[in-house]
Amino acid sequence: MTDTSATFTEETLDIAGISLQLRRGGSGDPLLVLHGELGVPDWLEAHELLAQHYSVCVPSLPGFGTSSFPDWLMSVRDLSAWVNWFVRECGLPTPLNVVGFSMGGWIAAELATTNHALFSKMVLVGAAGLKPREGEIWDYFLNSAKDAFQRSFHDHESAQYLKYYGKDWTPDEAEQVETNREAAIRYLWRPYMHSVTLPDLLPAIATPTLLVWGRQDGIVPISSCEIYEDSVANAQVAVIEDCGHMPEMEKPEEFAKTVLKFLKG
Amino acid sequence: MFIGHFTEEPWQKEDWPVEWGSGVMAVSNAEYDPVRASNLYHRYIDEKVYAEEMGFDGIMVNEHHSAPFCMNGVANVKASILARVTKKAKILLLGNILPIHDDPLWLAESLAMIDVISRGRLIPGVVRGGGSESLTHNIPPHYNRERFEEAHDFLIKTWTTPGPFRWEGKHFHYRYVNPWAVPYQKPHPPIWVPGTSSRETVEWCARHRYPYIMLASQIDLTQQMYEIYYDTAREEGYEAGPQHLGFMFFFHVEETEERAIEVGRTLTQGVRSPYDPGAQRPKPWIAGPPGIATKSARALRRKMTAADSSGRTRAGARATFEDQVATHGMVVGTPDSVIPKVRYILEQLRPGTIIFRTGDGAMDHESQMRTLKLMGEEVMPKLREIADELGLPGPYDVDPRTNEPVTAMAS
Repeated sequence: MTDTSATFTEETLDIAGISLQLRRGGSGDPLLVLHGELGVPDWLEAHELLAQHYSVCVPSLPGFGTSSFPDWLMSVRDLSAWVNWFVRECGLPTPLNVVGFSMGGWIAAELATTNHALFSKMVLVGAAGLKPREGEIWDYFLNSAKDAFQRSFHDHESAQYLKYYGKDWTPDEAEQVETNREAAIRYLWRPYMHSVTLPDLLPAIATPTLLVWGRQDGIVPISSCEIYEDSVANAQVAVIEDCGHMPEMEKPEEFAKTVLKFLKG
Repeated sequence: MFIGHFTEEPWQKEDWPVEWGSGVMAVSNAEYDPVRASNLYHRYIDEKVYAEEMGFDGIMVNEHHSAPFCMNGVANVKASILARVTKKAKILLLGNILPIHDDPLWLAESLAMIDVISRGRLIPGVVRGGGSESLTHNIPPHYNRERFEEAHDFLIKTWTTPGPFRWEGKHFHYRYVNPWAVPYQKPHPPIWVPGTSSRETVEWCARHRYPYIMLASQIDLTQQMYEIYYDTAREEGYEAGPQHLGFMFFFHVEETEERAIEVGRTLTQGVRSPYDPGAQRPKPWIAGPPGIATKSARALRRKMTAADSSGRTRAGARATFEDQVATHGMVVGTPDSVIPKVRYILEQLRPGTIIFRTGDGAMDHESQMRTLKLMGEEVMPKLREIADELGLPGPYDVDPRTNEPVTAMAS
């Protein structure tokens, strides 16, 4: 595993109308990372691998981590408007590359439908936002937080599952999980984890797009990947075998390699 | 003193597996047998009518959703029937789950109709509901309190303001509010609020001078909640009294102690509310999805389920029949033996409203009728004397809105 201890900074900024928890590392062209509905627990190994090539920027989205949560943010579309605001106030040069995980992928897709000039390339990983052709998006809120992490990983012996989730949580960790669930519930409650209008907007996307899916994604069925693939012009697909909903944590090296190949290609 | 009667009206089936518990979001409605259900509905309505005959001031109905422990999925249906088949008793709806209504105009008109049909006997209580209500109706739990407060304000305005008017809120939007039916009672039917352990709800209630009915049948926890009410009232510039406070507890009375204990025990059997002491609780993420319970409410709930210093469980997951009797959450005995026990509760809490919860769990109809009869003939007359002696006016003796005595005309 890569030693990540000295290569990133974590700070709290007043930016884009909120108090923001921001993790950054690496150098070069910016790469914006939009985390999923479970939040992001740390500067991850995958972030570090990407930071060897890019200046990686991982904001904790409003309501997640220690970021504040203004009342006006009520939907993923509000959240995508906030990301646009953040990119400008943070001074990130555009167009920039973006990687969005699950809910973060949905946010990126929303932005790409409305602004062709924001992203140079876009990677959507196990992206939410669409009603799957087959199966259903797994219901986080009829199940416990522990179940959610278990369900998100195919291999429960994988290092980062054990490090962050497959263990007894400290009270602070449990409270953070609850805080993240409270944020997710406000953005994702209904229609659950999808938009009824996004499917019709996807053909508007002109951004070169890579769709990354874990073959055994137990949260967002892989049939959602097919809708993105059919609707976004020239979208590429990379399926990671023996992997669940969080390839960045379950298969960080293969994930980073796949993403870098696309971004550099 | 206002004396109410309540039964949760559970599904009853002898071979209900223990592991199904209350059945909340845990049992398919393939188990619902409409013939059995019709018999149970008739039974529970008949019992309510008899409770009125025996002299109860109010007959209470409530609702829960996807929940076999409470057969009233729509309490307003039951209240509508009672509005016509009873004559004197208040119909105590505790209550409508305001946040789960996407169209509170429909609710405002339904309640107005019930109030009119009953000729002004409706007490349309309001509640926030538990997690299962939000989950089953897919109502955002994170907006539970906001929707509760906005729907309440909308109901009051709809009942008190000649239409048409427009409503542009955060959660509800109407361009033409002008329902034909308006309430019988003026300025509007009295709102009561039941609760268990939410500080915010008690404070909200006290700010509105609405009677607060404590459902969690525990003396010390109830005292804590009442203190919050008294303190908030003082902040609002008035003194809260018995007319603002109520208490509900389990009850069973028989001619002999032995029989009272033997039959009373069935209150803790059968399909039981998960909110009752000793009942199996729903999973925490079902009972309290993120956003529905504040941190302080979560802390109080933890306290409720903890053991006290003697090691005895409180209203927790395994409080036994004996525990509940010992802690006054359940009163059973003969007419002579129950009266001092209820007197103790009245002295400790000084509520102006008490609600007897009888005939619940696995108790049969005949036992329920026996207890109602003894209550009417022997227990309630004596309790009314005690309440007068202790100075415990109910909300129909002293007006909670003004603290002035209610005149015969107004009541």
